[in-house]
Amino acid sequence: MPSSRPVLGDLERAVMERLWTAGEASLTVREVHAGLAQEREIAYTTVMTVMDRLARKGLVLQEREGRAYGYRARGSRAEMTAELMRETLDDFADHDRGTALVAFVDAASPEDVAALRRALAELV
Amino acid sequence: MLTPVLLGALAVLLAGPAPRLLARAAAVRHTPRAALVLWQGVALAAVLAALGAGLALATHQAWRRAPDPVSVAVAGLALLVTAVVLGRLLLTAHRTGTRLRALRRRHRRHLDLLGQRDEAVGEGVLVLEHEVPVAYCLPGVGRSRVVLSAGALGRLEPDELVAVLAHERAHLRARHDLVLEAFSVLHRAFPRWVSSASALEEVRLLAEVLADRAAARRAGRAPLARALVTLAAGAAPEGSVGAADDVTGLRTRIELLREVRRRPVQAALVLAAAGALLVLPTAFVVGPWLGGL
Repeated sequence: MPSSRPVLGDLERAVMERLWTAGEASLTVREVHAGLAQEREIAYTTVMTVMDRLARKGLVLQEREGRAYGYRARGSRAEMTAELMRETLDDFADHDRGTALVAFVDAASPEDVAALRRALAELV
Repeated sequence: MLTPVLLGALAVLLAGPAPRLLARAAAVRHTPRAALVLWQGVALAAVLAALGAGLALATHQAWRRAPDPVSVAVAGLALLVTAVVLGRLLLTAHRTGTRLRALRRRHRRHLDLLGQRDEAVGEGVLVLEHEVPVAYCLPGVGRSRVVLSAGALGRLEPDELVAVLAHERAHLRARHDLVLEAFSVLHRAFPRWVSSASALEEVRLLAEVLADRAAARRAGRAPLARALVTLAAGAAPEGSVGAADDVTGLRTRIELLREVRRRPVQAALVLAAAGALLVLPTAFVVGPWLGGL
């Protein structure tokens, strides 16, 4: 089902946006569904499935609140972006093991940068 | 008895001194595509020669008319060593592949939630709202991503951005990640008594040089070089000291950008060497051995 993936990803994003907007406060599936239903036609169970998936992946925290579950994002958007960036830079630095990502350029020492600027001046 | 000795000597030569020498032959970098093929030829020939030496020794001992206990023991030992080498390679390949794919899957998931698609920047490019200037790609068939941080986007002029994107797309198109993965496997399987570290480092550099060339063709050399310097300087960890040598190969990349002359003769020779490494041992050593079995 290649066509369902972007839709699902789209939905995950929409759910995360809602949770990020709520900040520290946790939302129930019903609350998220109510918000999403204003913009699109969507079943309650679909929202529940998506939020469950996000919780299983550790992107969303699930807490029991009385009779329902409350959900909130693991961190703010900025925090989660910073975390991803930290992992990315760690991956770049890990030269011996074969990296998952391919960096355009590695961080250079100040000496390297000075030498690069000289080489650049000769090039242009 | 000549076959196992020849193959063993070839394996030792291709695993140890050959990569060390080849990594020092800076001129080869001027034909990066051919050089990358040669590196793969050396690695493949080394592995095949090592496995072939073990098998040849085992058959040589066991195929005797009246095998004595010593020959049987030697044959068994040769087989065992061969199996260990092969097993270690396959296991490392499996582990490395699994680990890389899991890391990429997880990273892609986070990227798709946190990154913003910006068609104005480029098709299929994700922008991460972060100040540290980085540009990278995440390989994967049909699921590859090119990622730029807002910090990188803010620092790059339009023509430099074109160069960066062309560079990343060249990596993805040519599947450099697969070559790097293969050499990472070799390095992790045999980190010590094989010159796998210099091989991995050099292959990494060659992949960058190839992507640099693609980017220079698309956007020009000067914008690419400026982008390299800008992003390398921006991402520098604060207060980093030492490292006067070119650890990351960045200076070499800029140096190589200055050279634009095509070298078809050198490329042909390097490719011929890669072919010879695989064909000659097969024809003169492995062929007669197999024929004599």
